[in-house]
Amino acid sequence: MFRVNLRQSMVRQLQTIMIACMRVHRNLAYLHRAVGGVRWNSSFKPAPLLTAAPVRALIDEHISIKGCFLPPQSPITMCAQMQSDEGDHWEAFAHYNTNADGTVNLTRDHSVGGSYVGCEPMGLFWGLQPAPGSREGLRLRKKNVETPYVMLLSLLEGHVSPSERKITELAAVTTERWYMAPGVRRTEIRQDGVVGTLFLPPGPGPFPAVLDLWGMGGGLVEYRSALFASKGYASFSLAYLGHKDLPAPHNRVNVGDPYFKSAYHLLQDHRQVVADRIGIVGLSFGVYLSLRIATRAGVKPSCLVCINGPVGSTIKLTDADGRTENFENEQTHWQFDDQGCVSFKAMSLPANLSPESKVKLEDLPCPLMYIVGEDDLSASSMENANLIEQTLRAAGKCQLLTLLSYPGAGHLIEPPYTPNSRVSLWSFKPRKLYTLWGGHPAPHAAAQQDAWEKILDFMDSHLRR
Amino acid sequence: MDRKQCCVKLSVQPSRGLMDEKFLVLVQSVLPGFQLTVYASYRCDDGHSWEAFAHYTANASGTVNVSEDHSLGGTYCGVEPMGLMWSLRPVPGSKPGLRMRKMNVLTPMEVTISVYRGHLTEGFVDQVPLAAVVVERWYMAPGVRRVPVTEGGLTATLFLPSGPGPFPGLLDLWGGGGKLVEYRAALLASHGIASLALDYLTPQITKENDVSVLFYNEWTNVQHPQVIDSRIGILGLSFGTSIALKMAVYSQVFKLRCVVCISGSHVQPIKGSVEQIMTSFHNNVDKTRFNEEQQVIWRDLLLPIPTDPSLKVEVGRLRCPLLMVVGEDDQNWPAHESAVDVKEMMQRAGNDHLLTVLSYPSAGHLIEPPFTPFARASSYKILGPPLQMVMVLWGGETVAHSRAQEDAWRKTLVFLRENLYRATSSSHL
Repeated sequence: MFRVNLRQSMVRQLQTIMIACMRVHRNLAYLHRAVGGVRWNSSFKPAPLLTAAPVRALIDEHISIKGCFLPPQSPITMCAQMQSDEGDHWEAFAHYNTNADGTVNLTRDHSVGGSYVGCEPMGLFWGLQPAPGSREGLRLRKKNVETPYVMLLSLLEGHVSPSERKITELAAVTTERWYMAPGVRRTEIRQDGVVGTLFLPPGPGPFPAVLDLWGMGGGLVEYRSALFASKGYASFSLAYLGHKDLPAPHNRVNVGDPYFKSAYHLLQDHRQVVADRIGIVGLSFGVYLSLRIATRAGVKPSCLVCINGPVGSTIKLTDADGRTENFENEQTHWQFDDQGCVSFKAMSLPANLSPESKVKLEDLPCPLMYIVGEDDLSASSMENANLIEQTLRAAGKCQLLTLLSYPGAGHLIEPPYTPNSRVSLWSFKPRKLYTLWGGHPAPHAAAQQDAWEKILDFMDSHLRR
Repeated sequence: MDRKQCCVKLSVQPSRGLMDEKFLVLVQSVLPGFQLTVYASYRCDDGHSWEAFAHYTANASGTVNVSEDHSLGGTYCGVEPMGLMWSLRPVPGSKPGLRMRKMNVLTPMEVTISVYRGHLTEGFVDQVPLAAVVVERWYMAPGVRRVPVTEGGLTATLFLPSGPGPFPGLLDLWGGGGKLVEYRAALLASHGIASLALDYLTPQITKENDVSVLFYNEWTNVQHPQVIDSRIGILGLSFGTSIALKMAVYSQVFKLRCVVCISGSHVQPIKGSVEQIMTSFHNNVDKTRFNEEQQVIWRDLLLPIPTDPSLKVEVGRLRCPLLMVVGEDDQNWPAHESAVDVKEMMQRAGNDHLLTVLSYPSAGHLIEPPFTPFARASSYKILGPPLQMVMVLWGGETVAHSRAQEDAWRKTLVFLRENLYRATSSSHL
């Protein structure tokens, strides 16, 4: 109601401005006074100011968030809201107290409650959670990397949670967070039976390249690749199971060594790729595939980055080329917690891996960075890391290994400043099954941030020099 | 494949920035002592090509940091973090008299920044760069709403910041060239100030003698409950200054919170309409001068500053803060002389505590938001009759003018925020 009054008196004011400066031409309009009886409140204060810089950032870039013209030493809540590609609402909030000059600065100040505590400049991003009332078991993954996440950051009065009914929004700013830098080119690849998406950086090239592999969740995951391309690498996301363009059925690996070799060559033969500067990045089952490609496929990558995965297949092979049985066939090592959520962790204990699939680590041809989340509930990362270390040491190759281990981090160590899901929906047929990934918010976020930096440095050292 | 080539790492952060945001250009993984050229190229909305370049030598770690290292030559020298933007110039062979102005603020400027081997000064198009990135430069932040206002024949665009508001407001006035120019208002809204870019002149002005015909229209555009009527400022450049000062001092109904006057003057017949003001300037057209390149100098049309008080806005009656931005090499308006006179008038009246003058040696007339190319002269359409294109000399020297724009913009934002956002005890009614 107050706003209606403002509107009318604002009209009047703007009209007067127009009158003063438009006595020039008959086509210049005079804004007519709104219908009378305008009540005008003169003591109304303007809203405080909330700024974010840059307002358009890459996912791994810092955004500096500040509020000013606020009452001094007063409680406020910073809030972030966004919608996933699927339309689910995610939000984060944190409680701050403004300082003596009425400002709040997320790079300097400490949150005293909410989605995170302490000084966490990017906490509103990694601390995102599904909004109350959301579907269960959500995981935030960008499907369409050509559009940004649009995040509304707002400043609320008092220490509140965003879902409370009576909240006073003092200021807001909209930010965009992108997986793709301007000029990065995305090309769908369906060639020689290979199913993937290629991201090329802007510029003439040629570029060092990376083959990007994910886990048994299947499909074609593009966002990490898009980000690598934004850093100057030609990056190829490769699908190998659970994709409509791959041979059925979709719950097992129906492609073998020749497939991965073709994919590697496709990348290598690209005129904008430096043939002898190709790395492989793998997460989860993708770790085993990376190691297998590097030791068996007759190709020589320049480096490997392996995150939370096994040295052999967790599913029995059906042939010598690495094709597997159905994922659901072997549930002996599935473990369930009291909520009925499944952990696949025991499947990847070295003793439980399919013996003929275990990679000959002593044949490792290049530097390897292996990353462990110590709270990984989906893979036996620590045990596999130990095995790799022992084997390489015995083979006199331990100088090839860089081992990173993060307490409190879970299975899904992904690009930074994105939320972790400790558990998420794995499948819904024959019934809804949720799987445990592990990881606690703050240490997992710290792990993602640190690991990403180290991954980029490692890639830099081995693919650019 | 040239292995060495793939090593070169070029990054610009942020890759999507606002027009007044600085970026960091880093070249890495070249050999120590490597000579390279950083090159910026831009194709503007009307199809003209612009370029800037600078010569660097990589340090001992094989890095060039444009924000810290010295350019040894090119379109700028020395340490200039944003030199690649403000030293952009039309490529050789371009039409003379170009001035870069982004008229469509809904899309960004897309600048390609690349690295070439060696210290090149030409022939960039024929060489393959070692690396290239694309940088977006935006006048509008995400969430800023652009609202065209066309009721009653008005030509204006309102830019509202993102958020619930309410917001302080600003009238944004350009100069005598006409046309609705939106980019400054869009940028101000990106900084939290609801800004109305207003075209207060139309081509028919020269045909119209009777300026008192008014007609009223209902303004039905009620999309803007978010502008606070007691916190409105006005910003004028060039002829826009004349309007701004007139309103700030004489408006009966409206009390502006603050005024920013860029490259303008208080000299005008105080009883006159806007058209009569323009006529009075035109009466002095014989004072037009030309330099050696036949570029038009109009600064003398208002000189000498009159002593007759009826010919100058009575700035002694001003009741709100006034920021004047002046280029001391302004060849188009006598901004410097006017500012000096304004100061004297306000000192005599005892309200000079309201006045801040930012005066920049070697800066010209077109003091605009920073990090856009500088034009010392450009083509200008005189509406006539007869209709003619002349080359107008704005004045200014590239480096000094670009620095002035950066400094003035920063200080203008602080001034506007302090006067429009900060809570005060007294009301301005």
